[in-house]
Amino acid sequence: MELLILPLALSLVSLIIPKSTRRFAALLGALASIVIAVVHLTSFHAGAFVELFSSNHQTFFRMTYQMGYDGLGLAMILLTNVIVFVILLANFENVNIASNKMFNSMVFLMQFALLGVFTSFDLILFYIFWELSLIPVFLIAFWFGEKDRKRTLLIFFIYTFIGSLAMLFSIFYIGTLTTGNYDYQTLVDIEMNTKTALVVCMGFFFAFAVKIPLFPFHTWQPETYTKSPMAGTMLLSGLMLKMALFGILRWMLPLTPEAYHCYKYVIIVLGLIGVIYAAVIAMKQNDLKKIFAYASISHVGLIAAGLMILSIDAFTGAVVQMVNHAFVAVGLFLAADIIDRRLGRRDIQTLGGIAVKAPKFAFWFAVICFAAVSVPLTSGFIGEFLLIKELFTDNAWIGVLIGTTLILACVYTFRAYQLSMYGKESSFNFNDLTITEIITFAIISIIVVVFGIYPQLLIDLVKPSLETILMTIKESSI
Amino acid sequence: MSIQQLLPLLLLFPLIGAFINGTAGKKLPKIVAGSLATLMTFVSFLIALTIFLNLDQPVRSLLFTMIDIDSLHLDAALYADNLSMWMTLIITGVGSLIHLFSMGYMSHDKGYYKFFTYLNLFIFSMLILVLGSNYFMLFFGWEGVGICSYLLIGFHYDDEQKGLLNGLAARKAFIMNRIGDLGLLIGLFLMLLSFGTLEYEQVSRMVLVDKILPNGNMLFAITICLFIGATGKSAQIPLFTWLPDAMAGPTPVSALIHAATMVTAGIFLVVRSNYLFHYAPFTREIILYIGLATSIVAAFIALRQNDIKKVLAYSTVSQLGLIFVALGLEAYTTAIFHVTTHAFFKALLFLGSGSVIHAMSGEQDIRKMGGLKDKIRITHITFLIGTLAISGFPLFSGFYSKDEILGYAFGHSLTIYILLVISVTMTAIYMFRLYFVVFHGTFRDSKDVEHHVHESPLSMTLPLMVLAVLSVIGGVLNLPGIFLHGSGTHFLNNLLNKNVAGLDQIHNVHPDHTTTLILMGVAVAICLTTLFISSIVYKKKGSVPSEDAQLSAWETFSNKKMYWDELYDILFVKPIEWFSKVFYTIVDSFILSGIIEGVVRTVAFSGDIVRKWQTGKVNSYILWMVFGIIGFITYYLIKL
Repeated sequence: MELLILPLALSLVSLIIPKSTRRFAALLGALASIVIAVVHLTSFHAGAFVELFSSNHQTFFRMTYQMGYDGLGLAMILLTNVIVFVILLANFENVNIASNKMFNSMVFLMQFALLGVFTSFDLILFYIFWELSLIPVFLIAFWFGEKDRKRTLLIFFIYTFIGSLAMLFSIFYIGTLTTGNYDYQTLVDIEMNTKTALVVCMGFFFAFAVKIPLFPFHTWQPETYTKSPMAGTMLLSGLMLKMALFGILRWMLPLTPEAYHCYKYVIIVLGLIGVIYAAVIAMKQNDLKKIFAYASISHVGLIAAGLMILSIDAFTGAVVQMVNHAFVAVGLFLAADIIDRRLGRRDIQTLGGIAVKAPKFAFWFAVICFAAVSVPLTSGFIGEFLLIKELFTDNAWIGVLIGTTLILACVYTFRAYQLSMYGKESSFNFNDLTITEIITFAIISIIVVVFGIYPQLLIDLVKPSLETILMTIKESSI
Repeated sequence: MSIQQLLPLLLLFPLIGAFINGTAGKKLPKIVAGSLATLMTFVSFLIALTIFLNLDQPVRSLLFTMIDIDSLHLDAALYADNLSMWMTLIITGVGSLIHLFSMGYMSHDKGYYKFFTYLNLFIFSMLILVLGSNYFMLFFGWEGVGICSYLLIGFHYDDEQKGLLNGLAARKAFIMNRIGDLGLLIGLFLMLLSFGTLEYEQVSRMVLVDKILPNGNMLFAITICLFIGATGKSAQIPLFTWLPDAMAGPTPVSALIHAATMVTAGIFLVVRSNYLFHYAPFTREIILYIGLATSIVAAFIALRQNDIKKVLAYSTVSQLGLIFVALGLEAYTTAIFHVTTHAFFKALLFLGSGSVIHAMSGEQDIRKMGGLKDKIRITHITFLIGTLAISGFPLFSGFYSKDEILGYAFGHSLTIYILLVISVTMTAIYMFRLYFVVFHGTFRDSKDVEHHVHESPLSMTLPLMVLAVLSVIGGVLNLPGIFLHGSGTHFLNNLLNKNVAGLDQIHNVHPDHTTTLILMGVAVAICLTTLFISSIVYKKKGSVPSEDAQLSAWETFSNKKMYWDELYDILFVKPIEWFSKVFYTIVDSFILSGIIEGVVRTVAFSGDIVRKWQTGKVNSYILWMVFGIIGFITYYLIKL
């Protein structure tokens, strides 16, 4: 239980810690939560289910408290805690934000909500955490974002909120199908006919599609990423969208396998369109943040499509790619932020020549870029290899088309990198990376490379639970 | 130590070199950084030699299991047979010489340590490519060399005028390679589907021993995908235009990566998979014609290039095309033979051009050179040897390897033979033109530059001399049957047939001795005639390539590279940019956002209605909670 209580406590404690030590305390707190997660990992046996909290006592609306984790959940917990730490570290130099008590408090609240999402085994509970996660990230964007953020954030909020509402209807609808609780096993066991399942899944799908975001529900995303402060963007791209992918895997697919054959290709095709469409747009954008925002849409489209292939390879690939994308996205946005903070601009047409002034930055940014285009030896390659392989096996044409992400990603990523970094020396000042920034990049790179060389570490952890999920789906979808 | 233990060491040394130079290279004196990198490659070469001499049967050495999911098992493992070891010898051997050359060539560069880091990293990736025990490992190396190539082409990204252009060339190379890589990747998927494994040993056993073959269409698909991968890496039509641009990299890079080693990866891939291609005659047909077309097109373009490195670059493309013709004819050992001799003389020519450029204070335009033969003697002699070797001058290495290809082509079809002869003739023409214009005649650049012209230091000339010797005697590796009293040596042929899966099953009909002699006679005649005419035109008359404006129609067509880049621009780049604009400004910003905004407006202003609609049905704290959030946020929005 300390897994969840710690972030919540940290969120409150952040409010009373004196300003001078706030950012150090936050880092320490985030580190502590990693340590706790690692302790859980060391005592975890592959394939096990660990109950964190359980009470069959029904509270309002038949909600129970079923919380726990399996391999997949634990992987997501670890990911959340490490990413939160990395995000805090990435913003460490930005004293205005890092020493703000509300900022730290909201980050930990976000962490709490995310951990809740990943460990809930009661649908209502899941929904509450899901909704809760929106508040901190919205407030961070709202308090620390760019000047003209108001309209963008309103759209972002209402859009995702409508999505959540749709999910809520689905949840209530499921509730009418059973007299039991909303706990995971009860819901999974419900037998529905295709039509019912389709209605239920549409609500979930809409909520998840907006959050991922999947084409054509993505329009809030580039604007919001651009207008949010870097920490907000990192939380959104690194963690929040993983919630939706996780939601598909944990809830949508096992709950509505009866409708699987109806939505399978809808989601695959939307994912495919997103992969190409967003990549093509990213090729001609000039705002670094916007390029990476569209890149993110392109990358997650592949994951969403891959999740629709019911095979262990595809699921594994999706999880590897979720982990990879979290780190790479944070790395890319950090790089954009470093340029933005040093120069006050991030339009690549006005940049250039940074590599000469800041060779260390040039190096680490390049490493992240290579990870972003999924070269071998990075986890992105393993993830994309598995995903594209499975999509290809399912349908050759879709596989080939979605495989173009390998080419398209190079085009926009290296265009962004070269136009901002290459070229001759100019007169501006550009301080090279500080030690914390180097550490941040190094952590990201090491993780990405370790999983790229030895992905089995991650695979062994998540495989049994993915197999269980797969079994659940397959039993009722046939 | 057993071969199993030696194999990982082979890879380890370049990696160590890259690591030391990458982390501490900046603080090391240049001579130490350079020597270290060179030494590491050379040690690799020695290990490779040890393994090569002791290798009898193929050896597999498992490093660790990379992915193990029920149906999918991928190992990180190494595999040594005579093919992979032969490639390793070329890579580390020629690689060592080029490292040595770079120590002198790059001595004034501030990114010295970085250069050697990348170079070592390249050797490492290339070794993974040829030594991996399965197609998955090959793909790792395949992309790895692509990255190193990218880094090295864009090495001078900070150049005052050409910085961004160098970057663009690097990007182009990487992207075009990736198009091929996607093809290769799909080939891998298809193989997984058909064979359930990517291990060379298992696939070859299935095909050759158990005779388990996928159906014809599947085999065609697999082989064509592998070949698409090969066209990217080995610069064949339609994916060849990156290679000439890749000359933006420092000259040793062009010699090592874009002539001797990396670009032969596609050939290695086909030879490695020969047993698949054997059962896919249609694919071989395609390979044959693509190779032929590439060979002629590139040779034609090379006729009127004036940048010394561009001529050599197109020449490389053309020679690679020639090798693909050999692959299409299933003359695999001949292909490897020409890969070997080509590695010698093309590395020599590139390094020679580097030495010329070094002497010319960076000038690459041959119209400004001339009369260099007495000023830089060693470079001149070695360059001449390279030129003779590539042009097929009798008894030089290129003569034998090229002749074998021509022989097989003759045996296959007269038309193809004639077309190849045209390509070979053009090769001789542009090479002699290059040689005479650079080294004969009068010096045409400023007095200032002329004053600076000097022979390169020993670290640069030594590799030239070694490569020159190899370019002369390289032919003995696979002497044809008519030499040595009819027995011939066929060293390479026997070597590769000994333990490379599939090769011993292919029986090519060698042309008989009379035909061989006649064909050789033709080749010799072509070479000598071209040499004679060129010497008259460029030496006696002292002609200089004319300015671009004075070129005739066909010359302009050649000079402008047959407008391939412009064609691709119209066909691919422009449409995609158009789509990008339309997607963003119309679809995204107007249609999709417009709809959402409309919806959001409606919702935002009718919150009351929404709530009333709900409360009848559900008694829910949750709705209150989320509406609470809305109120909360609206409050802040209003306050702003």
